[in-house]
Amino acid sequence: MAAVQETVEHVKEMEVDKYKYGFETDIETVKAPKGLNEDIVRFISDKKGEPQWMLDWRLEAYRRWLTMDEPKWSRVHYPKIDFQDLYYYAAPKSTEGPKSLDEVDPELLETYAKLGIPLKEQEILAGVRKQDEPSQLDDVESGNSGYGKVAIDAVFDSVSVVTTFKKELAKAGVIFCPISEAVKEHPDLVKKYLSTVVPTSDNYYATLNSAVFSDGSFVYIPEGVRCPMELSTYFRINEKQTGQFERTLIIADKGSYVSYLEGCTAPMRDENQLHAAVVELVALDDAEIKYSTVQNWYPGDKEGKGGVYNFVTKRGDCRGRNSKISWTQVETGSAITWKYPSCILRGDNSVGEFYSIAISNGYQQVDSGTKMIHLGKNTSSRIISKGIAAGRSDNTYRGLVSAHRKATGARNFTACDSLLIGDQCGAHTIPYIEAKNSQATFEHEATTSKISDDQLFYCQARGMNEEEAVALIVNGFVRDVIQKLPMEFMAETQRLIGISLEGSVG
Amino acid sequence: MTAERLKTKAEQGYAAQFSELESRSSSQDWVQRLREDAMSEFNAIGLPHRRVEEWKYTDLRARIGEVYGPAGDAAALSGEKLATLLGPLGDIDAVRLVLVNGVLDEALSDLAALSGSCEILPLHKAVDDAPDWVRGMLTTVNPPRPADATVALNQAFLANGVALRTRMAAPGRLEKPIMIVHVTGGESERPTSAMTRNLLAIGDGVEATVVEAHVQLGTMPSQVNAVTETMLGERASLQHIKAQTEGAETTHLSTWMTRLGAQASYRAFQFSTGGALSRNQIFVAFAGEGASSHLNGAVMARGGQHNDTTMVVDHAVPGCESREFYKLVLDDAARGIVQCKVNVHRDAQKSDGHQAAHAMLLSEAAEFDSKPELEIFADDVVCGHGSTSGQVDEEFLFYLRSRGIPEPQARALLISAFTGEAIAKVDDEAVRGAFQTMAEAWLADEGA
Repeated sequence: MAAVQETVEHVKEMEVDKYKYGFETDIETVKAPKGLNEDIVRFISDKKGEPQWMLDWRLEAYRRWLTMDEPKWSRVHYPKIDFQDLYYYAAPKSTEGPKSLDEVDPELLETYAKLGIPLKEQEILAGVRKQDEPSQLDDVESGNSGYGKVAIDAVFDSVSVVTTFKKELAKAGVIFCPISEAVKEHPDLVKKYLSTVVPTSDNYYATLNSAVFSDGSFVYIPEGVRCPMELSTYFRINEKQTGQFERTLIIADKGSYVSYLEGCTAPMRDENQLHAAVVELVALDDAEIKYSTVQNWYPGDKEGKGGVYNFVTKRGDCRGRNSKISWTQVETGSAITWKYPSCILRGDNSVGEFYSIAISNGYQQVDSGTKMIHLGKNTSSRIISKGIAAGRSDNTYRGLVSAHRKATGARNFTACDSLLIGDQCGAHTIPYIEAKNSQATFEHEATTSKISDDQLFYCQARGMNEEEAVALIVNGFVRDVIQKLPMEFMAETQRLIGISLEGSVG
Repeated sequence: MTAERLKTKAEQGYAAQFSELESRSSSQDWVQRLREDAMSEFNAIGLPHRRVEEWKYTDLRARIGEVYGPAGDAAALSGEKLATLLGPLGDIDAVRLVLVNGVLDEALSDLAALSGSCEILPLHKAVDDAPDWVRGMLTTVNPPRPADATVALNQAFLANGVALRTRMAAPGRLEKPIMIVHVTGGESERPTSAMTRNLLAIGDGVEATVVEAHVQLGTMPSQVNAVTETMLGERASLQHIKAQTEGAETTHLSTWMTRLGAQASYRAFQFSTGGALSRNQIFVAFAGEGASSHLNGAVMARGGQHNDTTMVVDHAVPGCESREFYKLVLDDAARGIVQCKVNVHRDAQKSDGHQAAHAMLLSEAAEFDSKPELEIFADDVVCGHGSTSGQVDEEFLFYLRSRGIPEPQARALLISAFTGEAIAKVDDEAVRGAFQTMAEAWLADEGA
């Protein structure tokens, strides 16, 4: 079929042959020696100027990690990772304590420009760089308030180099800073919430992350505050053979709201790079957290060589009554994705959502899904997962929905659909549904299909050409999820998805 | 094997029983080899536990504390006694093959009625004579991958059961259903075990109905491990039905391994109300194009019953259709499990698969776990699954009560409508009627 063929070609163009973000920024970096041992953990902690309790916490995690085995249950295959052959810390040299944007290495800002991010913060960053005026920030702040503004905590390799909009956020009482800073300035909050959602011993990679995490974002939204802007972090893996170990902690206090965006691109590399992040979300009574991700790391080349290993632990805890956590993800990159953003629905009436588009092509392997753990009464969750497999890739949805004995009135709706393009790929669905409460109502449905001839015929009979018809159908296929993305991510997502939307969105 | 695994008491029990059996075994070398290989396989993997993915929800290592001895020589069973055990199933007009603890009871079986259409051999005789079809079928039909401990055990103790082959020319039809009655236990005061292996070979173009009924004699706990290997020829058609109503302390492990020839039709139905722990496994493999497999079932469990249905359907060739449809009613602290995995191989284009499992939980403590899995490597396929779990709909209940139907009856009506949807999928009218009667009896038992 010509149109399908064309779609396949689009994917190839998009995702494999022309990895747009495969450039390398030449900034001097400070690296810890290769390998991992207690001294490296101490080195990282020392570099960050961390208090003793943090170092102890890291060391404990490291010792625990030594006793653990790599998980083998996922549907992904890769050569064994030599954890002693990685750098665990790399920080751009010129970034020791930048106080404002104009102190930032211009090359760094250029990197962001090259990313071609259609986000507000990219314009802001570019503007600062061009005009070189310290007043730029203030102008933006006063002239452009409310909706559409984005505060960015840029993470370049391992150190959070610049944080914009700090002032305005501070006015609202919102704390948005690198986690290394939070450890020093808000130790009580960090101590109270860190590793309460993802325990240090949770899994192999989370434990590794706990031991060596270099930086990440910390967000605290005080009681009753609706965060005045969308918060955003960009992760980039830049330095050769550096694992990136981000740690994000977001706390939404009673009645607060925050929307957090995370986007990822990484330069082209031959060797596989390891990314093992941990994201913890805590929503207290009546609070809502919306967490959106666009992940477009280097997926490896045509032969499946190189690419990022993305082994991430993301979990949200709806700790309070009526709280809500919503995960939206668009996964198009990485050689291997191993990621299950989950919700623990602890508070009564809490709500968990998971919207996902996972596109795999070339030799990519995706094993992703979610867990919805219903503990409180009248909790509800919704899972919409769209997997699109093309090329020689494998795309697996793996999910767990469980209702605890006391989760009376729990409700779940799950729909996971897979679309196969080409006959060399695989789409798999592995859902686990566990109902321990008779008052829980679970509905699960899944379909796997290719674009059916009937659908094509129907559209064509209404005057569309084949290409338009395919575009319409694929567009419809992922629509449920696209609609859940924040406005800022729409443009980038549509470009990344190319496969499905090219032609239909003009 | 380099390192010896630490064996549980039950695993040691099986090993001890195996060496006893070995000393008095006199069958052919190839059978002995099959048994020994199977036993070493079992020794290597051991009883499955919850870290074994396929047995995630059914921890045999924890549930089988000790191994009961074989029942020994079958107690004489009268026709009247058998009729009582069978209950409504006894009313079905079928040709009976009665296995008492795995041993074919010729007096109770209607061997003569089948002599024209089928070749029937007690398994021990079948392996001693070793006709090609028996030798060709044993373990080659569709063994589970990775190796399954319960099947390996069954193989290690391979001796009892029945081998049946149709010998009609195509197109042929067996007029009456064949009912294989598995009677477990005995009058003695000790718990017993029975390992049974049946072989069913349905020839090209032959249409048949086989009902396997598992009933229990006496009230002592027993351990059943029954494996049926079924081979369907081209355009053959088999309704394979199972009724499992053993006593409340019995462990029932059952595996059906089926291979379908081109354009064959396999319609299985399992009705399960008995046993403390039941594990019903069905493995279906498509070996020829254009075949269809329908696996349906109804489970009714209460008390502390644990009922696990695990299915694997392997679309190895193009153009086959598979359907799975299960309904479970779970009361008290019963636990129901439905796992189904549909594999579609790379070149199995035009595969069509759909599975659904629906559970109704009648009490706070009941639990339903489901794992509907799809593994798809071909692009021109239509596959889907659905799974729901819920309770009796209060609005329906209110509707019925507002029409003057008292609550208990209204509830029973709704539950029976729920399971009825599955039972309606039984093609044979007599069997369907018997299952409906059994489902109603189960419901009437409620609160008793």
